[in-house]
Amino acid sequence: MDVSDLKKNAKLEIDGTPWVVTDFQFVKPGKGQGLYKCKIKNMLTGAVIDRTYRSGEKLTAANVESKKMQYLFSSPDSFTFMDNETYEQIELAHDVVGDAKFFLLDNIQCDVLLYNERPVGVSLPSHIIMEITECEPGVKGDTATNVTKTAQVETGKEIQVPLFIKLGERIKIDTRTGEYVERVNK
Amino acid sequence: MSRRPLSDRVQAWDQALQAVRAYFRGQGLCEVLTPVRLPEVAIEPYIEPVRAQGGLLATSPELPMKRLLCEGAADIFQVAPVFRAAERGRLHSEGFHLIEWYRRDSDERDVRADVERLIDAVFVALGRAPLEGWSSAAFLPLLESTTSIRLRGDENAAELEEAVPSQWRVQPPEGIPASARDLYAWSALLTSWSDAALDPWLEAQAGGVHIVDYPPALAALAQLGAARAGEGVAARRFESYVGGIELSNGYHELRDAAEQRRRFETVAALRRGHGAPPLPMPESFLSALDRPGLPACAGAALGFERLLMLASGAGALADISLGMD
Repeated sequence: MDVSDLKKNAKLEIDGTPWVVTDFQFVKPGKGQGLYKCKIKNMLTGAVIDRTYRSGEKLTAANVESKKMQYLFSSPDSFTFMDNETYEQIELAHDVVGDAKFFLLDNIQCDVLLYNERPVGVSLPSHIIMEITECEPGVKGDTATNVTKTAQVETGKEIQVPLFIKLGERIKIDTRTGEYVERVNK
Repeated sequence: MSRRPLSDRVQAWDQALQAVRAYFRGQGLCEVLTPVRLPEVAIEPYIEPVRAQGGLLATSPELPMKRLLCEGAADIFQVAPVFRAAERGRLHSEGFHLIEWYRRDSDERDVRADVERLIDAVFVALGRAPLEGWSSAAFLPLLESTTSIRLRGDENAAELEEAVPSQWRVQPPEGIPASARDLYAWSALLTSWSDAALDPWLEAQAGGVHIVDYPPALAALAQLGAARAGEGVAARRFESYVGGIELSNGYHELRDAAEQRRRFETVAALRRGHGAPPLPMPESFLSALDRPGLPACAGAALGFERLLMLASGAGALADISLGMD
């Protein structure tokens, strides 16, 4: 691809790694070359770096696609997902799933990222709702949210919640930060 | 800074357009509107025309306006819609307007004076104080004072490579032929310098700044000559900046058809080298330059939206745009 095709969310392949353009600025002095000042994110590690390209440079588009899949079950070695369209099942290794494993509720819908047709990552909905499976008893009437206690949710993940949260209640969690957002009333 | 309410934007455009027209009419120039879809445009190294059903949308009205001059038109101006593919940013848009004008029997200093008066006229029309004066800086001395790089102005690509700091060295695309290497090297130097030192320097200047006396490789469509008796040859070209933002580019216009053809060919070779789509040689324009010929004249172009943005105190073209998307 030509550098002039750059835009936000363009996927680039650099040294065998897929990167996504998260931000870019176009500047151009007079009749000189344009500069495309990009922030690019490594799609495998999440690392963000600055890269500047000039008019006339050629880039390689990364063969990256994202497919809607449903999480089915896990085994000691892998997590199994099903493609929503083809019903084909694929297995993702633990290191590919990473911290997303803490939010993999049965049958949850995810975007599985494929790089050169190989699964390289899972992105979850930004918020999910989970049930509290273990915690200290709730403190009635204490609606403060800045004092917290540790609770466990159904996937086994530990999370800091306000004191008023009780066993069996459902809470909304931000999967990007792993933090409690709010209590969900039944 | 954010987008202005629509009623403010509409009013600002109206006031600015009135001020531009009043200025040029007061100077005795005639307003024209030249065709927007053209068979040929000036071949530029890094400006891509938008293609439109067998034609090209104007990247500037320069060639059709010069052809009017060749045919005997008097001093003319227009506010022309122009299009440049893939230029999108805070200060760039793929479609915008150029205020472009030509004065016969004039040189670049005359149209530079127009730039100063025109900007003040629009600033005042939008209720802003005129600029605190203008200064001029010649390209090479300014390069030296902002970077300590000292150049004569006629260096070839290999000599430039030697002279610039290592982080400015850019590997030219492989396909660039020998005939276009110097143009490539000077264009790359301009870009690196702007990014590293020139833009910050320009942003720090209180008034307007004209950069003058460009190296011959960056002459574009300007004549070469000594700006003052006893000085070396430079391109009679200028660019004008306010608050670090490039507003205008002007020339003492090149009239030599053979030299103009050589320059277009060099640019076309550079474009082939970096894989830009080929553009037709502007044969009709070259033919008019040859005969009847372009009268001695100077011209300049000034970005209307950027001027309006500065005069409105806005920070991005989008803040003053009348585009509804």
